Amino acid sequence: MLEIRWHSRAGQGAVTGAKGLADVVSTTGKHVQAFAFYGSAKRGAAMTAYNRVDDKIIMNHEKFMRPDYVLVIDPALVYVADITANEKDSTVYIVTTHMSTEELIASQPKLEGKKVYTVDCIKISQETIGKAIPNTPMLGALMKVSGMYEMDFFKENMVRVLKKLPQKIIDANMIAIQRAYDEVK
Amino acid sequence: MADTMELRDIEVWDGNMAASQALRQVQVDVVAAYPITPSTPIVENYGNFTANGYVDGEFVMTESEHGAMSCCIGAAAAGGRVATATSSQGFALMVETLYSASGMRLPIVLNVVNRAIGAPLNVNGDHSDMYMGRDSGWIQLDAYCPQNAYDLNFIAFKVSEDHDVRLPAMVHQDGFMTSHTAQGVATLPDDVAYNFVGEYKPMNDMLDLDHPVTHGVQTEEDWHFEHKARQQHALMTAVIPKIEAAFDEFEKLTGRRYNLVEAYNMEDAEVAVVCMGTSVETAREVAEEMRAQHGIKAGVVGIRVFRPWPLEQIAAALKDVKAIGALDRSSPHGTVGALFNEISGSLFNTDTKAVLTNYIYGLGGRDLTKAHLVSIFTDLKANADAGKPTTPLQQYIGLRGPKLSFF
Amino acid sequence: MEKKGWDGFEIGAMLRSFDGATRDIATTLPEDRPYSQSNSFTASVADWRIEKPLFNKDYCIDCQFCWVYCPDMSIISRDKKMVGIDFDHCKGCGICVEVCPTNPKSLLMFAEQQDEESAIAEWPKKDTSKAKEEAKDE
Repeated sequence: MLEIRWHSRAGQGAVTGAKGLADVVSTTGKHVQAFAFYGSAKRGAAMTAYNRVDDKIIMNHEKFMRPDYVLVIDPALVYVADITANEKDSTVYIVTTHMSTEELIASQPKLEGKKVYTVDCIKISQETIGKAIPNTPMLGALMKVSGMYEMDFFKENMVRVLKKLPQKIIDANMIAIQRAYDEVK
Repeated sequence: MADTMELRDIEVWDGNMAASQALRQVQVDVVAAYPITPSTPIVENYGNFTANGYVDGEFVMTESEHGAMSCCIGAAAAGGRVATATSSQGFALMVETLYSASGMRLPIVLNVVNRAIGAPLNVNGDHSDMYMGRDSGWIQLDAYCPQNAYDLNFIAFKVSEDHDVRLPAMVHQDGFMTSHTAQGVATLPDDVAYNFVGEYKPMNDMLDLDHPVTHGVQTEEDWHFEHKARQQHALMTAVIPKIEAAFDEFEKLTGRRYNLVEAYNMEDAEVAVVCMGTSVETAREVAEEMRAQHGIKAGVVGIRVFRPWPLEQIAAALKDVKAIGALDRSSPHGTVGALFNEISGSLFNTDTKAVLTNYIYGLGGRDLTKAHLVSIFTDLKANADAGKPTTPLQQYIGLRGPKLSFF
Repeated sequence: MEKKGWDGFEIGAMLRSFDGATRDIATTLPEDRPYSQSNSFTASVADWRIEKPLFNKDYCIDCQFCWVYCPDMSIISRDKKMVGIDFDHCKGCGICVEVCPTNPKSLLMFAEQQDEESAIAEWPKKDTSKAKEEAKDE
């Protein structure tokens, strides 16, 4: 069982990101689950989204999770949300920030000694998609860090997931995914 | 003629999308709705499908849930295949008309995305609304995951519309835990899904102008009792065999097996929990772990058909266990939980000496964790060993503060 | 008409207006319609009456006011001509008499036991005092 927790603000696309990831993973025959906990259901409010991936059917519906990956797609949540909640020794953090990994850890000491990667999904999405929707680039970074799938396979499936969007936006998302894949450190 | 939608064999859908795709595939004629969280996407998606030519039907936006069900009643009496969706306070507002629908014997399918009832206001999932509907004369089917929400809609239409039944049916799913949780859903092609349910066969429809009828009559003392008894007779005798037949046929079509009562690991179980919704699946996983890690022979009984209550099947499923935990996701306010009551009633005249206790959990969407279930199974094992309750009869699980219990 | 007992009615307390199929019901006269037992047309309320309206065709101008206002559809009218009263469904409320505009009235209330012939014989004459008052008003 692979478990992923997303930290996001409502409106940044964590639910879409989690469902998109589930959709892509599902095509490989694995069982998936994607859900979210909204808290206060307002745009901009901190929220969490979750993925479970397993080889057998997923029956666990508890919200409680000890994540293998924590994906933080809003830079401020590193300081205001409990991003290390229920962590394991092996938990991997991928954080959206303009800082380097060293600078990030210095600014948030509770990440000290943990497996932390950084990538500026906000900047990447602004420069490619034209607005701060950091969900798809975060998936690009996750592909790099986890080695889950080949980039070509992943992008091909993301095109299908995003098929209702205008072609221009889909293309921009693909560039964003590739950039995050290349830039995550 | 509606357009066909090409679906993949496995679609990653949440429970709402699964339910609305089923409504599309059976080509519901009328959906009258007043959207409410967390059921909104069901009717929203139907409206989308209709607007884009995937359903040859009508979406009617009403002024309230009371109006929504009233409109559904009118459309069903007129002779259409009718469905809607609601939750929580909306369900509460619908209650008056629910009794009209069942009393008038109109086969409407209502997707209830279970949600807490305020105050305090809360949009998350518990079973308060489902419990409120239990005397309304509707068939109540319960989904544990998005796949169930999809499948049970087909069962609901098929059974409800049967001329020997003609009773409305609810398909319940847990708010957010199912409705907003995307999982793999094995789909049916449009024509296969439609043919399973079949073309709608009207009965006493008002649009049959050669046979004018009056629906919604007044009866008073000299007629009412016989009509209500007849309604109960249909619910008690006609529905269960039709559901079983529909489950059999559905299994032949899809390979997916449903039962009135879902018994997991019950063949040799010493202790069992009885529950509904997503909790059934989580409990199944924990029961396996109790066996593997704690040596406790744990089983799970999931209620698939809440109304009509499958009394004999429940009694049969629980006849050999020594301790039972009835898990109610609704505040019973002044008594034991509804499942505790139902199970007591089902077992009272049997030979069982099982110890039965009650757990109230998950109100307003409070997480039912695997750890909670481990503690429940551990309690039940102690009850089984002692041959009597070792805990109060009713305990609150997952509640902060001092332990709360009654009786 | 098919007679049904307490256990003979259909599910949902649904009631049929007619026995069997009907066609062009709007152009079929009430007495020719296959009304069912559950249609109120087959129930008589004649014994509810204490007084009954009687009709004097000599004064009637076929204005149809009585037909419009009767709450029990008990004014029988054919081709917009007042024909008489359906005494199976008239409850004797007197509204037809109240709305009748002729002078003297073409409909008057009589005791239930009074026969039509004697009623016509004692029908009041034109009220000239009322006509004078109207002239004054003008």
